[in-house]
Amino acid sequence: MGEFAALIHNENIKIYRRLRTWIMLFILAVMSALFPALIHFTSGGNEVTIGLWDSFQTTVAIAFFLNTIFTALVAADSVAGEFTWGTIKLLLIRPWSRSKILLSKYISMVLFSLFSTLLLIVFGYGSALIFSSSAVDSIGGPTMAWSQGEYVFLTIMCAYIELFLTAAIAFMISSVFRSSGLAIVLSLSIMFTKDIFIAIFSPERYEWANYLIFAHMNLSGYLLSDTGPGGATLGFAIAVLAVYYVIFMLVSWVVFRKRDVAA
Amino acid sequence: MPNTAEVVKPVASLMGVTKKIGSKTLISDLTLDIPPGQIFGFLGPNGAGKTTTIRMMVGLISISRGDILICGRSIKDHFEEAIANVGAIVENPEMYKFLTGYQNLRQYARMVPGVTKERINEVVELVGLSQRINDKVKTYSLGMRQRLGVAQALLHRPKLLILDEPTNGLDPQGIRELRDYLRLLCQKEGTTVFVSSHLLAEMELMCDSVAIIQNGRLIEVKQLKAVGNVLVPVGETLFEVDQPEAALELMGRGVVKDGGIAVEAVREEIAELNAKLVAGGIKVYSIKPLFRSLEDQFLEITGGEGIG
Repeated sequence: MGEFAALIHNENIKIYRRLRTWIMLFILAVMSALFPALIHFTSGGNEVTIGLWDSFQTTVAIAFFLNTIFTALVAADSVAGEFTWGTIKLLLIRPWSRSKILLSKYISMVLFSLFSTLLLIVFGYGSALIFSSSAVDSIGGPTMAWSQGEYVFLTIMCAYIELFLTAAIAFMISSVFRSSGLAIVLSLSIMFTKDIFIAIFSPERYEWANYLIFAHMNLSGYLLSDTGPGGATLGFAIAVLAVYYVIFMLVSWVVFRKRDVAA
Repeated sequence: MPNTAEVVKPVASLMGVTKKIGSKTLISDLTLDIPPGQIFGFLGPNGAGKTTTIRMMVGLISISRGDILICGRSIKDHFEEAIANVGAIVENPEMYKFLTGYQNLRQYARMVPGVTKERINEVVELVGLSQRINDKVKTYSLGMRQRLGVAQALLHRPKLLILDEPTNGLDPQGIRELRDYLRLLCQKEGTTVFVSSHLLAEMELMCDSVAIIQNGRLIEVKQLKAVGNVLVPVGETLFEVDQPEAALELMGRGVVKDGGIAVEAVREEIAELNAKLVAGGIKVYSIKPLFRSLEDQFLEITGGEGIG
């Protein structure tokens, strides 16, 4: 019955035809481009003291916060928006199963996150090239098995995994509660409070805290050390994240398929 | 060629459909066949369960008991095949406000195979939105959204068109046009139209048959239009005269009503009665058949009850 690609195309239109999306992408691009310049001008004027990768890494660390928030916004609106607008009634009476419609929504959300991440990298790296010099070596920093460039891209990957899971939580809440506000607030509060949570319920002290998603969302520690919080290995951390991810997806799908649409 | 001896298969059959939410029964054991090629009205007071029934027919809500077949396919078990035959508006036609009318239609066109640009333009033309189709939907009036809603429902030439309160927000001109093109669809493309409303006069003008529901139960299915599009008269005729009492005495039957005599009579009798009155020196100003309107019948059937 028709092409599945057309469904994803439809969902993309719903994301990119909104002014809001372009404002978010614009802010993200500006922030990514701005930080290397700020770092340059606040660290000794004309004398270039910050290396390319240091500048880029700092920029990524900051800009990824925004990237995660914006992706969570898109994920939160993806299902809940249809309910708020009332368009869900016209969307679900097409010859497509609810599962496929939800899948198209999920894929378009992931595509958005990849696009925004790429934007962040291009603008951040481009600006870092202009406002720094790769001739300057890294100031101190841990010794690693990687070159600095590799290390930065691996941290980007870790940051993306965190974003990916936050977006999955937002998407699930959006599908279950059909409220984009709730989805944004809950997913972002997990993002901001997970470190505090882990500080209180440290996996070092509590065995069960090892199985919480909070302890493992940030994998970047494994780039420098073999063991993470509570002595967990990278494999264990990935397994825990995978289980949570599968649960988020299952809940999203089961609820979306079964629930009555009486909005 | 269809075999004339073949029994006409209904486009949609509701078979013992029941909807329960918690302990509350919204729809109770509703059985109804919608014959093809008709405009079929679904009539009931507010809260009778019209929209709930329609939501079940299009698979938006689950069916607690029973099943609904559309073109012979179950909406429960073969959703995608069944729904492919349906175009629908459920309650208000909500559209993506940040898109234009045309972009909205493209959304739905992409979801079914074989809807060309020409078809979209044709439908836009039919619902009379050509002038404004490239404006954002947020600038549309309720009536224009209603038209766009009808347009999205027609795109894929569905066999069954389900319209929930389609006259909401339409001006008299719009209602008239809607009626005309529903009739056209029905005749030219053989589309079956299932239309819900609480506006009785509208239904009377629009529909071939109506099903009346109240409190989630089917009360009655009525054929409104006999062959030749004539309302079935109940046989009462009103003679408007100058002296009702004298006329009553002369005629020997009927009742005094609205400054005249209402009497049950067949065609030939009316002429005879008229001759008798004139011969008796009574002035006859007019003779008109009295129909009981659908509204009267509806109120009679449902007992004029409130939401229950």
